[in-house]
Amino acid sequence: MNELGKLHQLIIPFLGHDMTFNIEPIIMSWIVFAAILVFGYLAVKKRDIIPGKLQVIGELFVDQLSTLAVDSLGEEIGKKYAPLTCALFMFLMLSNWLGIIPHLEEPTKDLNTPLALGIMGFCIAHYMGIKVKGFKQYMSAYFEPIFFMMPLNLIGEIAKVISISFRLFGNIMGGSIIILVVSYLTYSIILPPFLNAFFGLFVGTIQAFVFTMLTIVYISVQVQ
Amino acid sequence: MVYDIEIWAKVAAFSGAGLAMGLGATGVAVGEGYTAGKANEGIARNPEMAGDIFKSMLVGQAVAESAAIFALVVAMILLFSSFTADSFITVIVLFSSGMCIGFGAIGSGIGSGFPAGEACLGMARQPEASTSLVTNMLIGSAVCQTPSIFALMTSFALLFSNFSQSPVSPTWAAVLGAGLASGIGAIGSGVGGGLVAGASCEGVARTPSTVSLLTKAMLLGQAVTQTTAIYGLLVGFILLFKTFPASDSIVPAMALLAAGLCMGIGAIGPGIGEGSTAGSAVKWIARNEDSSGVILRMMLVGQAVAESTGIYALVISLVLIFVV
Repeated sequence: MNELGKLHQLIIPFLGHDMTFNIEPIIMSWIVFAAILVFGYLAVKKRDIIPGKLQVIGELFVDQLSTLAVDSLGEEIGKKYAPLTCALFMFLMLSNWLGIIPHLEEPTKDLNTPLALGIMGFCIAHYMGIKVKGFKQYMSAYFEPIFFMMPLNLIGEIAKVISISFRLFGNIMGGSIIILVVSYLTYSIILPPFLNAFFGLFVGTIQAFVFTMLTIVYISVQVQ
Repeated sequence: MVYDIEIWAKVAAFSGAGLAMGLGATGVAVGEGYTAGKANEGIARNPEMAGDIFKSMLVGQAVAESAAIFALVVAMILLFSSFTADSFITVIVLFSSGMCIGFGAIGSGIGSGFPAGEACLGMARQPEASTSLVTNMLIGSAVCQTPSIFALMTSFALLFSNFSQSPVSPTWAAVLGAGLASGIGAIGSGVGGGLVAGASCEGVARTPSTVSLLTKAMLLGQAVTQTTAIYGLLVGFILLFKTFPASDSIVPAMALLAAGLCMGIGAIGPGIGEGSTAGSAVKWIARNEDSSGVILRMMLVGQAVAESTGIYALVISLVLIFVV
């Protein structure tokens, strides 16, 4: 029970500031990167008209997520952002699944990971908004419906980043706390595998999809 | 009789446990009753499907029940763990964590009854779509649980944080406010998410071919509906983890309490409102698949406008925390 909220941190003084690194999420993210790279390599090693098992899974990911991106962003921008969509979903899904392996934990359990991805989505959305609509029209969106709504529109945009990242963080962190507490209360008998399947595999996949879809939708709101 | 701090901590733990389970049972019971009612309606329409409908009713109710189980877990911890009460803050913390999960379980309990009920009725109307209905229902009601998971997180954060270094005077109000913001804030989003998921199950039963589109629209609608619950969680976490300077005056304490109340109550309306927006959108996508793009865009704009009141509440509670 005491390991709740414990975190290993590496603090490096840099130019008069302390740079803090949370070691566990970093290592766990690297494990996820490695797993995705290995999967990608194995999936395309023997490309064939009659696909192997891994190639089918890979094609499924690429096909479904490119369709999602093209549907909401249109043909041109959608094709450009399809790889991002695909990578984001695969990373988040594997991250959320990682917790079901003993001694590993989800990188998304640390708020920094979802927040970084949320800020990334925010930057891309606003960059695309300025690029597609032009700076003037982009700015005028903030002064709708009346000019004095500007501060609230601004807060609304920033709140999007907070809501997208807290949603993922809250679900994954909440799930892992529930698993920890219930395992502690029941002395790890019977229940934890089911909880892991529900919170890790099921909720994890749904939340990864929700995060990916919201990122795409935020871009499409700016573009249209 | 002398009441020392240990006794008060026990009192707070017991009343917190009572609140957690009492409030937590309310919403879930309403939701499950709705499910069972719809299942009866479905069986009356199509008695041959009685077995399948019964099974999916039980599955749906089991998922809806998880909100009550969260409350039960917190109530058990409050009843059977021994807490070292080092100051008056512990007393408030125990009460607040029970109250938080109690309120937080109401919305998700009511909400996840809707998709289960609509799925049961849908199975009677469209037996071929049973599998996709059950899948859609499970996804919908799992996402409905999110607000109660947020409340549970705040509850546990309250229970297992160390407040022994914090000054008593404003901190007691901060921990009470955190429980209120996160707990009450979860009610609206839970109900709203349920409305969306229910509409989506109804839509799948009406037009089974649109199931993947409907699931996507449902997830999007629910995600946006949960935004205000996330604001509640955010305000709760700020109140929990920010250190406030000690003060003998009652004013800062009341400001923090008001911040929690403001965000909590302010999040109810937008949650339900956005849920009914997204519910109608999903319902009409099932009837008019070709216009799904424009319906979704309209839904997002409508939800953004409905959410602006939640943002007012967020702004005021942040002002109360950081400025006043």
